[in-house]
Amino acid sequence: MSTMDFASRLWSRWPLETVIARGGVGLGLFAFVVALPPFRADMPWVPVLVGLIAIAAGVWVMSRGLRRPGWTAIGFGIVGIVLGLLATRANQGNLNQVVVWSALLSATLVWATPLTFAAIGGMFSERSGVVNIGLEGMMLCGAFFAALGADKFGHWWMGVLTAAVAGAGFAAVHAFMAIQLRADQIVSGTAINFLALGVTGYFFIDIYGENGTPGNLPRIPEVNVGFLGSVFGHLNLMIWVSFALLILAHVTLFRTPIGLRIRSVGEHPRAADTVGISVYGTRYAAVILSGMLAALGGAYLSIGYLGSFSENMTAGRGFIALAAVIFGNWRPFGAFAAALLFGGSTALSFRLQQPWPAPSVLFQALPYVLTLIAVAGVIGRSVPPASAGRPYVKQ
Amino acid sequence: MDEAPVLELRGITKQFPGVLANDHVDFDLRHGEVHALLGENGAGKSTLMSILYGLYTADSGEILMNGKHVTISSPKDAIELGIGMVHQHFMLIPVMTVTENIVLANEPVKAGVLIDEKAAERRVADVAATFKFAVDPHARIENITVGQQQRVEIMKALYRNASIVILDEPTAVLTPQEAQELFEILRTLTREGISVIFISHKLNEVLEIADRITVLRRGKRVETIPREGATEEGLARSMVGREVLLRVDKKPAQPGDPLLQVHELAVRDDRGLEAVRGVSFDVRAGEIVGIAGVDGNGQTELIDAVTGLRHPASGEIRVGGHDLSRATARAAFDAGMGHIPEDRQRRGLVLDFNLAENLVLHDYGKEPFSRLGWVNPRRWIRWARGLLEEFDVRGGGPTTRGGSLSGGNQQKVVVAREVSRNPSVLIAAQPTRGLDVGAIEFVHRRLVEQRDAGKAVLLVSLELDEILSLSDRILVLYEGRIVAEFPPEVSEEEVGIAMTGGRRSEAA
Amino acid sequence: MSEAATPHAPLESDPEGYAPSVAKRLAFYQRAGGIITPFLTAVFAFLMGGIVVGATGHNPLRVYKAIFEGAGLNWFLHFGSYHVDIPFTNHHIWFWWDTSTNHTAAYNLTQTLLTTTPLILTGLAVAFAFRCGLFNIGGQGQYMMGAIVGVYVGSRFVALAHVTHILFAIVAAALAGALWGAIAGFLKATVGAHEVITTIMLNWVAYWGGSYLLGRDGPLQNHVDKSIPISDDIAQKAHLPAIWGNPALQALHAGIFFALAALFVFYLVLNRTTLGYEVRAVGFNPEAARYGGISVGRNFVVAMAISGLFAGLAGGIDILGWQFRLGVLDVQVSNIGFIGIAVALLGRNTAVGVGFAALLFGGLLTGTSTRSLDPQIFPPQLAGNLALMIQALVLLFVGADLLIVYIWQARRKLHLPRKVPA
Repeated sequence: MSTMDFASRLWSRWPLETVIARGGVGLGLFAFVVALPPFRADMPWVPVLVGLIAIAAGVWVMSRGLRRPGWTAIGFGIVGIVLGLLATRANQGNLNQVVVWSALLSATLVWATPLTFAAIGGMFSERSGVVNIGLEGMMLCGAFFAALGADKFGHWWMGVLTAAVAGAGFAAVHAFMAIQLRADQIVSGTAINFLALGVTGYFFIDIYGENGTPGNLPRIPEVNVGFLGSVFGHLNLMIWVSFALLILAHVTLFRTPIGLRIRSVGEHPRAADTVGISVYGTRYAAVILSGMLAALGGAYLSIGYLGSFSENMTAGRGFIALAAVIFGNWRPFGAFAAALLFGGSTALSFRLQQPWPAPSVLFQALPYVLTLIAVAGVIGRSVPPASAGRPYVKQ
Repeated sequence: MDEAPVLELRGITKQFPGVLANDHVDFDLRHGEVHALLGENGAGKSTLMSILYGLYTADSGEILMNGKHVTISSPKDAIELGIGMVHQHFMLIPVMTVTENIVLANEPVKAGVLIDEKAAERRVADVAATFKFAVDPHARIENITVGQQQRVEIMKALYRNASIVILDEPTAVLTPQEAQELFEILRTLTREGISVIFISHKLNEVLEIADRITVLRRGKRVETIPREGATEEGLARSMVGREVLLRVDKKPAQPGDPLLQVHELAVRDDRGLEAVRGVSFDVRAGEIVGIAGVDGNGQTELIDAVTGLRHPASGEIRVGGHDLSRATARAAFDAGMGHIPEDRQRRGLVLDFNLAENLVLHDYGKEPFSRLGWVNPRRWIRWARGLLEEFDVRGGGPTTRGGSLSGGNQQKVVVAREVSRNPSVLIAAQPTRGLDVGAIEFVHRRLVEQRDAGKAVLLVSLELDEILSLSDRILVLYEGRIVAEFPPEVSEEEVGIAMTGGRRSEAA
Repeated sequence: MSEAATPHAPLESDPEGYAPSVAKRLAFYQRAGGIITPFLTAVFAFLMGGIVVGATGHNPLRVYKAIFEGAGLNWFLHFGSYHVDIPFTNHHIWFWWDTSTNHTAAYNLTQTLLTTTPLILTGLAVAFAFRCGLFNIGGQGQYMMGAIVGVYVGSRFVALAHVTHILFAIVAAALAGALWGAIAGFLKATVGAHEVITTIMLNWVAYWGGSYLLGRDGPLQNHVDKSIPISDDIAQKAHLPAIWGNPALQALHAGIFFALAALFVFYLVLNRTTLGYEVRAVGFNPEAARYGGISVGRNFVVAMAISGLFAGLAGGIDILGWQFRLGVLDVQVSNIGFIGIAVALLGRNTAVGVGFAALLFGGLLTGTSTRSLDPQIFPPQLAGNLALMIQALVLLFVGADLLIVYIWQARRKLHLPRKVPA
């Protein structure tokens, strides 16, 4: 395919309104970024101006009929103005301390990775029509069983394996309830979360008691590629795996027969059934995969980054991953972009703790607020798979 | 045409809880013929074909293809044996393209794992060329017309090398012109050696296209006859088992003042397209106006707008002189409108409410059913009991759950509710869909009663017979416009032509 | 098959093959099980919990007995001849149970009832939303908003009289919860945003919002000791009166009357008002409701607001009744809103059911708490997690309502659908 073909395909796929809408969102973000190093604009009118352009873009898009993308651009514009104004009023020294881009970027990658794993898993599950609220629980059990496996078997990859198996197991319960018994998927997912909390807590205390996991847990190694610089030179293996996973997921979902079948089951299970696709089988596979991937994300948390396990250590990341799936329009790269955004806000909030301990806590709420905006006014044609959440009855 | 059958069904029996859907049914299909399967709603036609396609398993009986026994336990088996099915509710995925829908589950592959898009397009184009279809392979299903969607469904079967194609009530969603195109396609199919099974309950179509006709009634096969010599009356009698009354007895109309006035009404559908384009008509007191038309020409949107469930894009609606153009459903009901909706289970009733709760669905907020927001269910029950008796609703009392009643009795409840409110304008949308003959007679009687009591009745129906027998004036809706007005003595043919957009006699 | 012959099975799949919606199934379930199915659900959940306990080397029977006693439910078993003081007088009357909270069983029971009180309310919150067909997972956030506003009003406005102050605080807390719930309802009504997602997000916004407000240098942090991330104490006058036990040792407070009254109000609103009629109609069949003239969007907002109101009320009552202050730790550890989900589902979204389910879970939580459970028999941290597992199992079994009903062989009685013919 020549460049002209590619360009014209892109152009036809993304009409002007969508481009402007996404540009508005980007501008809104930029309104905040422009007040940070290295731009360091400290006149308040700068972020306000940029933000207003974002809002204008949003209004224009709305006038062309796309109400929701317009609202999103407006929302981002407002958030950008607010944050930008706060940043301009901040002490330059503090800003310099907080916004060290290389450190921020690596921290973003670190915090985004568990989200990426879980989000891609959640995406597959929802694409096949099964809502997976239990990502949080599967992540948590992955974190615990990774630590347990690494400890008892002595190798980090045994930990990863154990986590995957455990995640698959929990997911199988959810799958059975949702697919075979046609239970309500939200209730089932919530139950998984409670169950994981209870099981991991129970066995954590039973096995490790008061001392917690041993300090010398085998850890997932880093990959040292010196020439890639400070950010990409010392990333954990799992982070690289997440990149690969991203590409693999995109190709699988959109260019392979399996992906087409998964999507068909998620959009119109009866139609898929009548051409001979096994709806139940596809959904089981997707849900169990989502459990495995979420567990891998949890494994990265415990034996990849932190080196230990503590009760409820995932602290809601599974829900952020779910938000990333929605924010990213049920597409792998979209979910990844959202994961980066959310991971970035977590990273930022940790760095903000030094100069501003109180407001840094509020930053932790940012992913959820952004998702609220996204759900209320989503970018582009964000419609979930048509049959997501509705159990299918095989005739 | 060979004489040896390519397909034989022997003694197929299928029992569902409470009903014997197929009772030792025999059926055979010859090579290259169009064999129609005729019967009323619920006669067992769809069940039989679902068994053939592997969606159900028969309790007993056998299936032979080209003389050999076969077992079909899933659609996959059926597809492998060369049986393809075009369902009444299309099994197409709206957000995917034509090509994706056709090749789903049989995708051509390159490099072992990726979909070979070029090969898929080529193969789809091949099928389209062989059978002379014209479809845009890149179009999304949600953006093409119903007729084209049906063609995609047929192509799905042909792509998988079907030698037998089953069509389940295919013309239900087509305009008469599209139906003719479909028949052309079927003739092309048979010329290429494909055998077709055509399920229908429409006598005239069956007589036009079929080579042989099998009639089912209440799960049993009544007869299998060749098209030559078959007549509408004969087939109708076989279908129903007795003489069918096609007309309703009624006095001549004595219309008074117009109670419902619609002027230049324009309404958009769910996708923002214009469904009703500048419709104007009046319904006077004491008359029944019937709107005829093929499904999908704007009837639903017209009714939604008139009853306040949808905002019209422009135009006026007046009920008894009040302007209701921008009114809500509640305002419409309060202004004296009654509405028998076209889907009694989705719209007409809350199945989980009991009958008393259903009967107060419009007026629960007013005296005497409630006071200052407080409600006394006992009062409802007492009132409901009288109403249910008056309308001869069987199967339960005021405290029975709505979902426990049969379809006919459910419709009686809906009619009871609307009629007892004494509306000045009564809108009836598909009021007898899916009902048995007794219930149909009941509904028709009530509509005529209302008309004789001086109400204005607007009847919208897809059943031309119903329109012809009940209406005092007939309007034809085609592509969102009223294209003709007829007196009730008009011939079916003329109305049919108008329904397809042909010659326009007095536009109303 | 003709229409006249087959009455419609209560749970049928639609032409696209989907199973019926949440509200439909719960409606069916309400009719289907009566009291047996919730009872069985609970029994099975406890059974499986017992298996886990046994498999990890503890004696399930002894553990459950200890939990039972820890919950104070054994109090009912000790008959005798005691007396109880009539409040505001110096008389006492004969009573057959020992109400002195110096004795363990009575004391444990007060603690159980203390936990049951908010559980009733958060359970009602979830139940009310369910009756409108909405899944409100935001009970936790709504509860927290109620608690935050409750602690704020309770610690300021000290010039008000005793009763006024209490009422003001309670109403403010309830309204805060109502607002938090209404946001989700509004989003659903206007843009169709799924309430599960929005309420989960709002939960976390409340979580971090509360952590910020009460944290170090936060606006609501107490003025006494700036190193502790906790709020001011509420005024002494704003405490709810204790009705059973020693207030210095966390007594049962008058809030329980609010909770019991709420059960009544729930029933009355749903079954005896036009609002309740509309809510139920929308919950069962929004399309028919719309056809009938009911505004579906408006009812979504109202239902979520009322739902949030119950949860916010729980938050306020807890603060005024026994917590008296709110810290960041409380915000982050609290999960009473989530347990409300299990309570509502086990109680099948009815007033009576929620009442009993709240008592069951209240007992479970109290019985497994550090204070009540003898560490020799079963370590309390394990017990806490056991309680979580039992809740999860209850949710799982409720979610798989078909499974339970099959087990009880209600199939024959209730015409459960098998394959519905086309």
